[in-house]
Amino acid sequence: MDFKFMIEILPEFLSVLHVTILIIISASTLGLILSIFVTMIRIKEIKYLSKIMTLYISFTRSVPIVLQLFLVYYALPILFSLVGINISNISAVIATIIALTLYNGGYLAEVIRPAYLAVERGQHEAALSLGYTPFQKFTRIIVPQVIPIALPGWGNALIYLIHDTSLIFVIGVLDIMGVANLLISQSYGSNQVEIFLTIAILFWILCLISDNLVRFLEKRVKYSQIGSGIKQ
Amino acid sequence: MFKFDILVEDFVGILTVVPKTLLLALVILLISTFLGGIIAIIQQYKIPIISQLITVFKSFLRGTPAVVLLYIMYYALPQISHLLLSLIGIEFNPNNLNPVITVIVTFSLTLSAFQSEIIRGAFLSVNYGQIEAAYSLGYNFLQTLWRVIVPQALTEALPDFLNSYMVIIKALSLAFLITVVDIFAKAKIVGAMTFRYLEAFVAAALIYWCISALLTYLVNRYEISLRKGH
Repeated sequence: MDFKFMIEILPEFLSVLHVTILIIISASTLGLILSIFVTMIRIKEIKYLSKIMTLYISFTRSVPIVLQLFLVYYALPILFSLVGINISNISAVIATIIALTLYNGGYLAEVIRPAYLAVERGQHEAALSLGYTPFQKFTRIIVPQVIPIALPGWGNALIYLIHDTSLIFVIGVLDIMGVANLLISQSYGSNQVEIFLTIAILFWILCLISDNLVRFLEKRVKYSQIGSGIKQ
Repeated sequence: MFKFDILVEDFVGILTVVPKTLLLALVILLISTFLGGIIAIIQQYKIPIISQLITVFKSFLRGTPAVVLLYIMYYALPQISHLLLSLIGIEFNPNNLNPVITVIVTFSLTLSAFQSEIIRGAFLSVNYGQIEAAYSLGYNFLQTLWRVIVPQALTEALPDFLNSYMVIIKALSLAFLITVVDIFAKAKIVGAMTFRYLEAFVAAALIYWCISALLTYLVNRYEISLRKGH
C-alpha cells in the first residue's frame, strides 16, 4: 500500500468530480419530475398511457443500468432520425443524463405511488368537503403527508444513482473512473489497487453526505408531521 | 436501420449463456446468504469488536459502487490469495486466478450485507413464543435454530431472496469489465461480430426482461399459495 501515491492522485480525481456531481444533481431532479408525471398518469388511470407507464417501470427495473446506458446512447439517435431530427453527434454526458433520468424516474415512481396511496381516502374527502379546490387539496393536504413517507425511498434512489454514475465511463464520459483508466495506462499498470481504493473512498464520502442530507430532511419533516390529530 | 432478422439471430446467440449466468448468480446467492446469516447472528448477539467492524464494513459497501469493488478485487485478490495460500504452504501462481472466482468473491461480499438485513428481518418475524416453546420442550440452541426458526424464517424471506437473485443477475452485467462472459458481455460479443450493436443490446434487454417477469410471476404464485395456507 502506497498512501503517499493515493494523496498525490487525489487532485486529479477532484478536478473531474464536478462532472459526476452535475450528472447526479440533474438526473435526480429530472428523475423526480418524471416520476411525478408517471405517478399521476398511473393514479388517474389514463387509458393506454398508464399501461405504457407500467411497461416502462418494469423495463427500467429489470434491465441492468449498463445496458440501459448503451441502449440510450445507440438507440436515441436512430429514434430521433425517424422523426427527422438529426442528433447523431449527441454528447455522452447528455446521453448519460437521459439514461439515468429514465432509470431514476422509473425507480422513484414505485416509491411515490405507494406513498401517495398510503394517504387515507378520508383526507381527500375531508379536504373537498371543507371547500378546498383540487389544487389546494393537493399542495396543502396531500403533499405534506406524502413527503415523509417517500423520503427514505428517495434517499435509497439517490444512493443508487450515485452508484450508477460510476458506470458512465463505459460510454466514454471522462469522469472519475475515466481518469482512473488514464492514470493506470500512464503508470504502466501499477498501483491499480491504490487508485481504485481512492475512488471507493470518494464515493463513500459522497454517499455519507447524501445519507446525512436525507436524515436532515427527515428530521425537518418530522416536526410538521401530524398523526391522528396529535402532534408526535 | 433496425433489422429484425439480426435481432432474432442475436437473441438465440445470447440465450446460450443464460444457463451459465443463472448458475453463477445462484452460486453467489448461496454464498452471500451464508455470509449474511453469519453477519446477522454476529449483529444479533452484538459480539464485541467484530460487530463494530461489520458496521463499518456495511457502511463501506453501501457507499461504494460495485464496479469499483470489482476492480479493487480484480487487482488485489490474486496477491491476497497468494499470501493466504502460502501461509498454509500451498504454491499458487497469482496470475492463474480465474476472473470467475473474482466475480463470485466480490458479489458475494457485496450482497452479504443486503442478505444479512433480509435474514435479520425474517428472524425477527418469528414469534418469540415459538422459541420459548422449543426450549421448554428440551431443544438445544442448534436444534431450535434448524427445526423451529429457520423453516419459519425461510418462508418469510423467500420473496426477498428471489429479489436478491434478480439483483445479482443484473449486477453480473458488470462482469464483462474483467472478461467474464454473461448475458450483457455476450451481447457485446455478438454485436461486435456484425457491427450491429443496437440489435444485440435490444435482444439482451428482452432476455433480462423475460427473466425478471418470470421471477416476478414465481414470487406472486408463492405469495398466493402462502395466503391459502392461512
